Amino acid sequence: MKAFKGLDTLSSFGGLVALLLLGVLPTLFTGKYLVGVLTVAAIYGIWAVSWDFMSGLTGRENFGHSLFIGVGAYAAGFLNVHFGVGPWWSLPASMLVSMLFAVVLGFPTLRLKGPYFALAMLSSAVIMQRLMLIFWEYTGGEEGIQDITPLIVNPLHYYWFVLAVLGGITLLLSWMARSRWGLILRAIRGDEATCLAAGLPITTYKIVSLVISAAFAGLGGALYAHYQLQVSPQLFAVVTSITIITMVYVGGMGTIFGPVGGALLLTVMTEGLRNFGEWRLMIYSLLLIFILFFLPNGIIAPIWQKMRNLGRPS
Amino acid sequence: MPISFKRQTLHSLLAGLLLGSGLLGTTALMAQDKPVRIGVPTSVQLQVGRDTLTAVKMAVDEINKKGGVLGRKFEFVSADETENPETGISAIKKLTADEKVDLLIGGYTSGVTLAQLPHISAAKTIYLGVGAASPSITNKVKQDYDNYKYIFRVGPVNAAHQARALVDFISKFVIGELGYKNIAIVGENAKWVQDLVPILSKGAKEVGADVRMTELFDTQTSDFSPLLAKVKSSGAQYMIVVLSHASSDVFAKQWHDAQVPVPYGGIDVKSMDGDFFARIGGKSISEIAANFAVRAPITKKTVPFFDEFKKNSSNFPVYSAFFAYDAVFIYADAVKRAGSFDTEKVIKELEKTKHEGVAGEITFDEQHDVQTGPGKVNFMFVQWQEKGERAVIYPKELRTGKFIMPPWMKK
Amino acid sequence: MEILIYGAVTSAIYAMLAVGFTLIFGVARILNLAHGSFYALGAYSAYVLTTLAGLPLWLAALLSIAIVAIFGVLVEKILIRPLRSSQLGVLMISLATALVVEQALFLIFGSEYRNVPAFIDTKFNLFGVDVAGQRLLTLAVATVAIGGLYAFIQFTRLGSAILAISQDPLAAKYMGIPSDRIFSLVMAISAGLAALAGVMAGPFLSVQPSMHLLPIVKAFAIVVVGGLGSIPGSIAAAFMLGYAETIVAYLVSGSWTEIVSVLATLLMLVFRPAGLFGKRAAF
Repeated sequence: MKAFKGLDTLSSFGGLVALLLLGVLPTLFTGKYLVGVLTVAAIYGIWAVSWDFMSGLTGRENFGHSLFIGVGAYAAGFLNVHFGVGPWWSLPASMLVSMLFAVVLGFPTLRLKGPYFALAMLSSAVIMQRLMLIFWEYTGGEEGIQDITPLIVNPLHYYWFVLAVLGGITLLLSWMARSRWGLILRAIRGDEATCLAAGLPITTYKIVSLVISAAFAGLGGALYAHYQLQVSPQLFAVVTSITIITMVYVGGMGTIFGPVGGALLLTVMTEGLRNFGEWRLMIYSLLLIFILFFLPNGIIAPIWQKMRNLGRPS
Repeated sequence: MPISFKRQTLHSLLAGLLLGSGLLGTTALMAQDKPVRIGVPTSVQLQVGRDTLTAVKMAVDEINKKGGVLGRKFEFVSADETENPETGISAIKKLTADEKVDLLIGGYTSGVTLAQLPHISAAKTIYLGVGAASPSITNKVKQDYDNYKYIFRVGPVNAAHQARALVDFISKFVIGELGYKNIAIVGENAKWVQDLVPILSKGAKEVGADVRMTELFDTQTSDFSPLLAKVKSSGAQYMIVVLSHASSDVFAKQWHDAQVPVPYGGIDVKSMDGDFFARIGGKSISEIAANFAVRAPITKKTVPFFDEFKKNSSNFPVYSAFFAYDAVFIYADAVKRAGSFDTEKVIKELEKTKHEGVAGEITFDEQHDVQTGPGKVNFMFVQWQEKGERAVIYPKELRTGKFIMPPWMKK
Repeated sequence: MEILIYGAVTSAIYAMLAVGFTLIFGVARILNLAHGSFYALGAYSAYVLTTLAGLPLWLAALLSIAIVAIFGVLVEKILIRPLRSSQLGVLMISLATALVVEQALFLIFGSEYRNVPAFIDTKFNLFGVDVAGQRLLTLAVATVAIGGLYAFIQFTRLGSAILAISQDPLAAKYMGIPSDRIFSLVMAISAGLAALAGVMAGPFLSVQPSMHLLPIVKAFAIVVVGGLGSIPGSIAAAFMLGYAETIVAYLVSGSWTEIVSVLATLLMLVFRPAGLFGKRAAF
């Protein structure tokens, strides 16, 4: 099967199989619980992939990804509840709003080096969260906006829709990552000075990749809003950004497809850990430390690599 | 290299044993009638949540001792909704989709409950609220009966009623007995307070109070000195508070340490905790907090409930416990009257509830909201006094002690 | 008038936190996001030692500081040092540590507020303003502590060693200064200072598991504004921010105070990454 230019056959085949498996999985079990968990996992997958595209490739880790998510989600909420616009409009609208924020924030902050960019984005997300609370009369404050209409009422169908979106975005971004674009982004991670010397418009590349990353984050936010049927300032929280970064680490930074696996694994694990109740977050944080120490390349991507190499003569 | 043979056989033996016992176990269970499962979404980490669970357990034990209802025993399972809508929704999903409960009893933060409503409605499960006060919750029953008929509020009385009770307190006690006309209204910026304060302000002015300032502060606030200074300089003689999630402990401590010359009282959920006074070193002395019940014969059930509760837990119950306890019985009685567990039939019977509860008689209005009034569930205003004693100050008919001023304001 | 006094107290607490934070950065280039945890542990430790072990307050306070200082050293040695090659790695792991500490506190003590007893319970009236005694004591203690630290760095041999390392780590090593041991010492001082802030402020601010979050955000804001690695810068910025927040709280409303610090960080990062006094820019 001839795949997209740049993506080898095995990877695309593997991806397709995985997607099909995921789609079929909930139909094997009765009850809506699994579908719900997997839908959330898929949305986190979208967020993780969007983060990886920008930060995984350029090495500029964005600690404020939750801002783009929240902005997209609130855009959906506002449009739907306050302006009474049909739910399907949220999707493009949320992308536009997030992209706008990315442009506005990207210009001043992308000049900064690693940790400072990370923290500048973090601060921005915190400010946004605060603003949502301060202007509670318009934004609903701590409780946020409720009563958002679902996009597709049938949970299984909605799940398949989200899965399709996830698949599409992963494919698109994987392709871009393996194209010239991705090469340049990786070069920026390696040595910016050299890139500049080579005459590359680094700033443009950085900002555009941030915008793309933000667009999909916002899209995910809108999908989330129409699933939870409410949005709250919690979406902007640092915890959200950190969770996503963890998923990317687990999946394998810079691989694009790895974070999807990371998102699935961690979301399912979190629900599974529910029985541990209060211990859940503790285990999560310990896991993060563990990964940072012992598995800096993540779990998913290296496993896939090994699997591929099995079929090859050394 | 293959695992040692012995290990493999051991593994399979173990697996076989487990499988076998599992099968045996399930068949044993299937032999009895399926128990009625009650899901309890609540803030498990807080006193409100813990007491809700203790109360549900007490009620469930009592019902099971009498053989259950229509031949089925009761059991319950909890899920932590924290104070955050995301976790709350996920708790509802866990209880309805995964644990497949027949009934939900719980709630605390109005914002969380509001977020949960569409998901509860989708699950077509009866929900008896015991902790959240926002009127918006039951308004939904009126706006969209078909989808939201599952929602009932057993307690507390909604924020609008609470506001009116506060207005009464201001008019008859603060102005009437203390002679203080100048008041300050201070509350946390949460939904139920946003619903309550406008009614309170308006009502207070109508009864002759001079509202010198109104301020809603961020629930996360930990330094109240600017706020307290503002209250002092506003010329207020009494500070009415509306607190639930906010740091009442810190508020009381800072008020006490700065010896703010303005006594305070109102709604303070954390102050309802039995150990509130003790855990802040007695610094809440002279604070008046509204409560729905104290250990006094408000109804026949009040004192026995308090005593039984104390045996099951290390403290006296907070408000959510009264209603959680009542809620289980209200459901059980509705089922008995309906003669079945069918949701639609039970709802019809629930609407006709007339139950003598711990805090008063429980009846519902046409929005499935608990009613207030003589004989029903009412607010009473209780003051912290020396050595952690509590005395009911208002209404006058229920008074059990004399009002005291803060120690630094005694003549 | 109130603004003057309350602002001073707030600034003092912030200064204690910021100085520790900037110290460890200046010397070891570590952005320690677990710094807030030291503050939290200081307060909780005081709570445990007084309430559960029944120790007198002054003893509990000293022990708390010591315990947290040791904890800080351990964190640095075990968790941070291996990842020192990547600033981002250090950031992540210190954040993860902060989360673990928060969860541990939550699991052990629950989410309700705990009561740390105060040294002074009486009220003072300064220039017509009612101030709780404990707040004034905090101000005094902070001044002494920071002053002492500054003197230590300027006037002792060990202090010079610290300065040397912060200016040029390689040269310092060639000079025979044991950088690893100095790192541990600095970490101990940094953690101890934060713990002291926790012990002093615990009585009148909230003591609950997530109490580490706001202090670290503010400490970071202050340090960025004042200039990473500069102690005088941190102190100055601490006062600026402390007063800015107090003024906003009194004149506008409490909800806006958080934005003040975060906005200041953001603006400073964007326009002048070196901060007001920093020699080292963010580039």
